[in-house]
Amino acid sequence: MSDYLSITPAEREAMLGKIGVGDVSELYADIPATLLKKKVKLSEGRSQQETFRAMKALAARNKNYDSVFLGAGSYNHYIPSVVKSLASREEFLTAYTPYQAEMSQGILQSVFEYQTMICRLTGMDVANASHYSGATAAAEACIMCADKTPKVVTFDNVNPDTLDTLGTYLSARKIELIVLPAKGGLATELPESVGKAGAVYLESPNYYGLIENVSAVAESGKAHGAAVILGCNPLSLALFKTPRELGADVAVGDGQPFGMPLSFGGPYLGYIAVTKDRMRKLPGRIVGETTDADGRRAYVLTLQAREQHIRRERATSNICSNQAHCALTAAIYLAAMGPQGLKDVATVCASNAHYLASKLESVGAKRFYNGEFFHEFVTVTPFKAADILRALDARGILGGLALDEHRILWCCTEMNTKEDMDAVVETVEATYANFV
Amino acid sequence: MQTLFEKSVAGKRGVTVAPPEVETYSFDESLLRTELDLPELAEVDTVRHYTALSKRAFGVDDGFYPLGSCTMKYNPKLNEEIAALPGFAQAHPLTRADKVQGSLAVIDTLNAYLAGITGMDAVTLQPCAGAHGEYTGLLVIDRYHKSRGDFKRTKVLVPDSAHGTNPASAAMAGFEVVSVKSDGDKGVDIEELKKAVGEDTAALMLTNPTTLGLFEKNILEIADIVHAAGGLMYYDGANLNAVMGVVRPGDMGFDVVHLNLHKTFSTPHGGGGPGSGPVGVKRALKPFLPTPAVVSTEKGLRYEKGKQSIGKVSAFYGNFGVYVKALAYIVTLGGKGLRASAETAVLNANYLRARINEFYPVGEQRYCMHEFVLSMKKLKDETGVTALDVAKALIDRGIHPPTMYFPLIVEEALMFEPTETESKENLDRAADALREIIQEAYTAPEKLHTSPHNAPVRRPDEVAAARNPVLRA
Amino acid sequence: MKQYTKTHEWVEVASDGTAYVGISKFAADELGEIVFVDLPEEGQKVAAGESFCEIESVKAVAEVNSPVSGTICKVNDALADSPELLSGGGEWICAVTLSEPVGELMDEAAYEASLN
Repeated sequence: MSDYLSITPAEREAMLGKIGVGDVSELYADIPATLLKKKVKLSEGRSQQETFRAMKALAARNKNYDSVFLGAGSYNHYIPSVVKSLASREEFLTAYTPYQAEMSQGILQSVFEYQTMICRLTGMDVANASHYSGATAAAEACIMCADKTPKVVTFDNVNPDTLDTLGTYLSARKIELIVLPAKGGLATELPESVGKAGAVYLESPNYYGLIENVSAVAESGKAHGAAVILGCNPLSLALFKTPRELGADVAVGDGQPFGMPLSFGGPYLGYIAVTKDRMRKLPGRIVGETTDADGRRAYVLTLQAREQHIRRERATSNICSNQAHCALTAAIYLAAMGPQGLKDVATVCASNAHYLASKLESVGAKRFYNGEFFHEFVTVTPFKAADILRALDARGILGGLALDEHRILWCCTEMNTKEDMDAVVETVEATYANFV
Repeated sequence: MQTLFEKSVAGKRGVTVAPPEVETYSFDESLLRTELDLPELAEVDTVRHYTALSKRAFGVDDGFYPLGSCTMKYNPKLNEEIAALPGFAQAHPLTRADKVQGSLAVIDTLNAYLAGITGMDAVTLQPCAGAHGEYTGLLVIDRYHKSRGDFKRTKVLVPDSAHGTNPASAAMAGFEVVSVKSDGDKGVDIEELKKAVGEDTAALMLTNPTTLGLFEKNILEIADIVHAAGGLMYYDGANLNAVMGVVRPGDMGFDVVHLNLHKTFSTPHGGGGPGSGPVGVKRALKPFLPTPAVVSTEKGLRYEKGKQSIGKVSAFYGNFGVYVKALAYIVTLGGKGLRASAETAVLNANYLRARINEFYPVGEQRYCMHEFVLSMKKLKDETGVTALDVAKALIDRGIHPPTMYFPLIVEEALMFEPTETESKENLDRAADALREIIQEAYTAPEKLHTSPHNAPVRRPDEVAAARNPVLRA
Repeated sequence: MKQYTKTHEWVEVASDGTAYVGISKFAADELGEIVFVDLPEEGQKVAAGESFCEIESVKAVAEVNSPVSGTICKVNDALADSPELLSGGGEWICAVTLSEPVGELMDEAAYEASLN
């Protein structure tokens, strides 16, 4: 048994003596005897080596793939060693929320720099210190914008987990959620019948990887009085116009592509960035710059009157712990890559995806939607998606996501080699041959 | 210290990326941004920057961190290595269930352990933090009442000593919050509670041990009162560290619990998160947990999308990379190790309290659980030195301050939670530091008003920060 | 002449009948250094006893209840950039065109006495 304690039996006796009891059980005197009598089943512990062996055996029950073409909200990117090395520094990893500014300048500055980088990527004025995931960031952004007009409009081409999360969050707040059908995979202008709305939420690239005509949707949203919330894979912002330029009032998304491993879906990084007028409604921690008693630059948690520990039931959100370490990881990733490195990664992703899409088209897996895309796209085949994915699996390749019986959502990143992509094409071709 | 942006030099390159092996794709220019204003640094610059930042931060690995209610225990290195195993770290969440049986087994096994520890029947790991767990648990409660055709239960009772997240989560979940006065050290005021409960009560949210670090003696009576009114009992697990393996919330009468794996189960808090806030429920509430659930079938572990579920509260399955560490912790300690940890946490808190009592009265002699609250009111009245001053003076002595000014019902509160992994030597050192500070308050209070003096910065101007917010470079 | 509420707001009716509303020095002192005033808008209707504005300090937030009923006709925009003006207790937040006469409130002496 390992227990990570640091008290010897002799010290324990001395401590009990100081307290004035003979046994630890006396310290639990306030607990009703009927409760203490209930037997809690207690298993034996293990040595660290035994735990490692057992957990390693569990990990081995997951199949690891040589090449991954699955995205849909979780993206397989190269994580430079410098990111892992710096993020794992214990002063960052084992600290709590930086309540004591004087002792936490390193963490506070890292958050301030993260906020700045998110603002610069999105073109916004203010970003929070992080939210749980892209899905919850979108949900809380909608709540923030729909406080006066409790209606949110979105489309059925946004990430389904995000849509599901929106449904949960908005119904609890009694905010109506209208899900409009996409046309040809793309969001549409809002129909007259929608009426006045608090917010419109769309994604670009959307769930199918397509790049939306954000400006048009935004304009129509504004005509309905809605704030425009744009969800973006932040890696795409290395290349594309900023949400601000496209007319968004709020930018949200998941920063997982910036240095976080797939890790079976989390922890990832929800980001929310807004224009200055929404600064005091933004949920979550925010770090600000100020000066200390000697006039030196210092950072603090600020605008705290928004938050649950002060405003309690009237707070803009209940969030307390966020994903700070993921924000740190993203900031280190961005610093390590620099603007050129980031653009290069995005370009390789897009180039690979366009190559794969055209090759697949040539072997009978046509693109299901027209329109420009970033690094994900949907194909449709007369034969079963499951057959392709099974054949790929046998070759150690994790294929795309089967959207239904015949459609697959593919994703390419800089991790996919030409050889891998050609193997996918070859497999699809072979499956087609069997089908015919 | 300079920011990344001030260190940036145009033309410097960081990590290089190989050009595409295929034809480089160019997007239509109308889609493209014209500038990308990110810092330009060489890799060594980035390394030096973050290494310097880390030296201006303080974690459990640096020293004593008795931040009350946050359970800053040692975070075992073994668990970090396990979470980073490629089998876990490289698993895509949308991989077919039969190819990720290891991940599903982590979820299934941890669910079973946590259910056993809390005395609940089913657990979800989807919530990403404690407050997120509260929110999820309350949505489940709402759905439960409504499923029974009971639509009147619109109110959640919250003691005035509760964490701010409790009322905030209740409001987010669509409830009206009713604050219940607590009776000082005695916990929930039973008479006040009786007046507050009724046909409209959805639940009472309670932390036990309470935020004063005391076990709620009347817990069984409280649960009876709430249940008799048709309400449910919600357990805020922030303070479970005192009683894990000793008593179970399920046996105390609670119907829903959330845990903070980043507190009780040793996962590192990362300077603010990510955490993990699993929710456990009694059988009757199981159908309403977030979707998907992981269930055991003949073919192995599979996902199940419950029809009555509240839906999703976040993407995928929550913070897997966090809760896999908690599983490793539980496997290592076993039930016996968990109990030994709880007992030692209580021992350490009572010892530190007894040491402090030598020079500053700690109040009545009732034993505390894993933490205790010290009111600095006497010191303030006699010397003008506040709880804030004392906290800042601890920084100069290499100790992270305790939680300040919480709970709200205690004036000039300092809340100490030493945790079980601190040594007697460290507790003695902390008590000595506090003694020194209190003596100084009577002899030279001026220096305390301006502490800390040895930290990277002195007290920051929070008023200026909030009046004229500078939130980005 | 200022009249006070139990919740520490004051109202002073000018000669033209417009009612000026602010918070007492006691309320400002309780909050600590004021960092932000969430100002109401012109044209907004207010009701006696109901909140119409929030004031924030670094560690607290307070709702301001209107001492009178009517429509806001003027807002003290100077508070947007200088919220600290409220600290003295003399500064007004907004002016109200009354829809009904001022109800029963305390005069300064009664208010001061109520604080003890």
